[in-house]
Amino acid sequence: MCLLTDSAMKNAPDCRRFTCAPSSIGSPAPSDRGTETGLTTGRVLGALGLAAAGFLVLRAAERNRLQPQKQADRSRRADAAIQMGRASSLLAGSVFADSAMEHLRGGYHRRAMYVAPAMAGATLAASTSSRARLSRRNADLRDGIYLAGIATGLTGLGFHLWNISKRPGGATRMNNFFYAAPIGAPGALVASGLYGLAAGRLVRAPQMTSRQEGRLVGSMTALNILATSAEAGLLHFRSAFQNPVMFLPVIAPPAAAVALAAAVARPGRQMIKIARAACGTTVATGLAGAAFHVWGVHRMHGGWHNWRQNLLAGPPIAAPPSFAGLGLAGLGALDLLEMEAQP
Amino acid sequence: MTDSFDPPYPNYDILRKWDSPSYNQITRDVLTERLTAVPQRQFLDEQEWRLLQAICDQLVPQPERTDPVPITPFIDAALTENRTNGTRFAGIPAMREAWRKGLAAIRAEAMAQHDTDFVSLDAHRQEALLHRINDGDAEPAHWDGMPAQRFFRSVLLKEVLAIYYAHPAAQSEIGFGGPAAPRGYVRMGADRMDPWEAPADRRNR
Amino acid sequence: MPLVEHLSPRAIAGRAPDVFRHGGWVPMREYGDDEEVDFTIVGTGAGGGTLAAKLAEAGFSVVALDAGPFWRPLEDFASDERHQDKLYWLDERISEGNDPIELGGNNSGRSVGGSTVHYQMVALRFRPEWFRSRTTLGYGHDWPVDWRRMWECYAEVEDALKISGPLTYPWGPKRGRYPYREHELNASAEVLARGCEELGVDWSACPTATVSARRGLSPHCVYRGFCKIGCATNAKQSTLNTFIPRALAAGAEIRDLSMVTRVETGADGRATGVVYQRDGQVRRQRARHVVVAGYSIETPRLLLNSASPKHPDGLANSSGLVGRALMVHTNHAVWGRFQEEIRWYKGPPSLAVCEHWNYADDEKDFFGGYAYMSQGPLPTDFAKTLAESEGIFGTELRRRMADYNHMAGLKIVGETMPQERNRVELADETDRYGVPLARVTYSMCENDRQLADHSLEFMRNALSAAGGQELFQSGGTAHLMGGCRMGFSREDSVVDGDGRSWDVGNLWICDGSLFPTGGGVNPSMTIMALAVHIADRIKTLAGQDAL
Repeated sequence: MCLLTDSAMKNAPDCRRFTCAPSSIGSPAPSDRGTETGLTTGRVLGALGLAAAGFLVLRAAERNRLQPQKQADRSRRADAAIQMGRASSLLAGSVFADSAMEHLRGGYHRRAMYVAPAMAGATLAASTSSRARLSRRNADLRDGIYLAGIATGLTGLGFHLWNISKRPGGATRMNNFFYAAPIGAPGALVASGLYGLAAGRLVRAPQMTSRQEGRLVGSMTALNILATSAEAGLLHFRSAFQNPVMFLPVIAPPAAAVALAAAVARPGRQMIKIARAACGTTVATGLAGAAFHVWGVHRMHGGWHNWRQNLLAGPPIAAPPSFAGLGLAGLGALDLLEMEAQP
Repeated sequence: MTDSFDPPYPNYDILRKWDSPSYNQITRDVLTERLTAVPQRQFLDEQEWRLLQAICDQLVPQPERTDPVPITPFIDAALTENRTNGTRFAGIPAMREAWRKGLAAIRAEAMAQHDTDFVSLDAHRQEALLHRINDGDAEPAHWDGMPAQRFFRSVLLKEVLAIYYAHPAAQSEIGFGGPAAPRGYVRMGADRMDPWEAPADRRNR
Repeated sequence: MPLVEHLSPRAIAGRAPDVFRHGGWVPMREYGDDEEVDFTIVGTGAGGGTLAAKLAEAGFSVVALDAGPFWRPLEDFASDERHQDKLYWLDERISEGNDPIELGGNNSGRSVGGSTVHYQMVALRFRPEWFRSRTTLGYGHDWPVDWRRMWECYAEVEDALKISGPLTYPWGPKRGRYPYREHELNASAEVLARGCEELGVDWSACPTATVSARRGLSPHCVYRGFCKIGCATNAKQSTLNTFIPRALAAGAEIRDLSMVTRVETGADGRATGVVYQRDGQVRRQRARHVVVAGYSIETPRLLLNSASPKHPDGLANSSGLVGRALMVHTNHAVWGRFQEEIRWYKGPPSLAVCEHWNYADDEKDFFGGYAYMSQGPLPTDFAKTLAESEGIFGTELRRRMADYNHMAGLKIVGETMPQERNRVELADETDRYGVPLARVTYSMCENDRQLADHSLEFMRNALSAAGGQELFQSGGTAHLMGGCRMGFSREDSVVDGDGRSWDVGNLWICDGSLFPTGGGVNPSMTIMALAVHIADRIKTLAGQDAL
């Protein structure tokens, strides 16, 4: 692995990343990737996550000061870790706000419904914690939180399926997929936990090659994007795609998933570049989606004046940022894949 | 009449939502008029008015209310304006005449059975008398060809209920959501309610 | 509530109310009374309003008159049952027969947009066999329109109203996907669904004419539940906010508060225009064609009142069938109390439907069919039902009404047989316009009773299977159909399959009075589909110079 990494190092023009990395700790650094312009707002949203991940990078850099030939490598992995951390934060933030709202709509009639926003909040805290230390104990604690988040997501999935099944007609009726508990939503919490775990792995001693890591995260992200897109598609179909812009999340993110999958299969520079652009678009889609949903609430009857109804009955503002999180995860995966990309 | 009404939503009042998005302007205007501009007697004479009030007290008794929902004034107002409801069943004359005739017949029923005015009867006797008409046992001689049960149910009782249950106090007592525009409802399932609805039925809590 | 005679016309001076904006206006083309327009249409409801839009869009000059006011739902519709009585035809009509029907708010609208302004938005199609019920099912009369043609017209209407319906409909031949998705079921609809699941019959989310997502200026339905007394959000897709704006945009003139009292005919017996009253003035509108679209009471009443030496028994009445074979839907219902709170005031009242008994021919021993829907009556509506069917008042009624939030109910739209003894005639007494009052005679037949009894038994089982207790039932009727039926010859009908009078070549009828049979579903979609059909036929005939 070291050999591969070293040779990639020599070929790659990415040494600047090493110099960039520390500067990104305190404040968002200007991106040198044009396709990431949409990240500006993402950085604001993920600022805490960035800081936390930055700390980890700094610690990692300090620790490995004696091994300068590996520092660049490590910091690029750390770069990817930053993206994973942000992805985890954005997803957790989205789940936190969305599940809090949707379960409020459900009246929290089961105590278990508090668990989703609570665990999403814990995951968010873990992935953005500014007090992050690289101590074994803290790392384990955070992993524990991520695992609990994953378990919560999976349990939620079960609960939501059960909720569908107990309605009249159960899984044979589209009405239940449209209006009962959404099956896809808890998956975002699972994804958040997985990216959190991945971020942690990336700043520790590598257990597999970067290519393997990149492929693993890249494939997972492609699938997550497709699942999230399917969910958005279902709900936008429920709303009859009444505004053409509602087709965006069923076009742009799946394209990114395909590009990402292609990059995973063949991590060539060109393909990575394309996938990077596609993932950037997915981030932008997620952020624009939140803005569109804000507008959508305004367009509901009574608009923001009737916010108590329309925040719940209108388009969910907190849901689209999931796409931004997944886009960032995709970018992170591409960082890892790029380390081995062939010219 | 011995047992009184036990409200399931004792502290709920749809008027508390007055300034919320549940009320639009026209609803506020309509209810303001209904609540503040209770019509004065115009069409009925004083005797008819008192009789009708006594009847309304039997049809919708409100012993627990210090400020009962007014019903007679709105019937009188509708008659003053000569309002109609789109249906005149065979044997029932035009609205104004039907009401005059119906009230006279009920007075006559009371006189015939108890040798006194309906208003002077005790509540039990008043109720029993109205039940007889409702059950189709009125004395046709007093009704001058008008079908008594049809008048009682399709004209009198319907109008009384339409006025009573259009009143916010009556709607609050049954836990109805009340005015709802522009704001409607979000939670549609059984036992699910929005914060701006009546809280759960206390009998279920 | 304002009395209709105290209102002033709004659609004047080259503009008409914009139904989508507070105080808004849209430009409106106007025609002089002496200007002979291509079509003058009497009534702007499901039939007349739809036809006005289609004809204006086809380039005809159109003046459509309505006796009712032109509302702006956003500012005119209150959340109040009593106030909203202003949507109904409250002028007196005399109701007789063995089973005299309730008119007024029960089945008759008086607004631009007609009864669609207060309809419950249940958007069902007729069963194909009903268009040939005599031939295939052995009762009633065949329709002079093929069901496949009607199927095309239904599709057009459903798209025009963006009907929110299920992806697949369990009964009848395959139909295209509804333009908008079905609504979430409310608790009341879930009761219907559970009952069906328990009894092993199919159910469906009800195709509904209120949008489940934004549509242009119509916002997503807010589930306020006052649908039956006028939608104050414009989510409901009525003629008032769909076809009427289209008609205005295409150059039609809509005259509100214009009560047509007579169709005038010339020496040759052909229609020359209409006499109407607006703002206290008697006026005449000349027209090459007159379309009567006043629904099953007012259409016969107007035709009968338009008698002339050439038409001594009333206009278009050589068959003697004008006003005959009036039909209603039986509206029997079973109600029950549930332990949980249903709160049926939320959402459109009928979000679930069971059409099983419209299609299951082998399992029943009566003619015709019925659909039943979940219910959500508003307080005064339900109080009246309770008092009438249970014969109670006083404290007992108040106590029963206290269970309002625990109630659920199933109610049928039950087909009745066309009987010629059920009819609309002119009474001796006249109204404030000087027009004789309508006298409506209605009696159920044995088959009607059998159907109602069957439905009550089935719904009792369904409701108690769903958990309902303390069941009680109610009767009543809804909707009007027939009175000027369409048919195959001048002997068997008032008009032909194009809605054109057999007697008067430039007189047309376009409303629910055309129905030869009533079907077991709410009639609005079928009336609109007929209007689409008639408009298309008029276009075709005009192209062939056969108008």
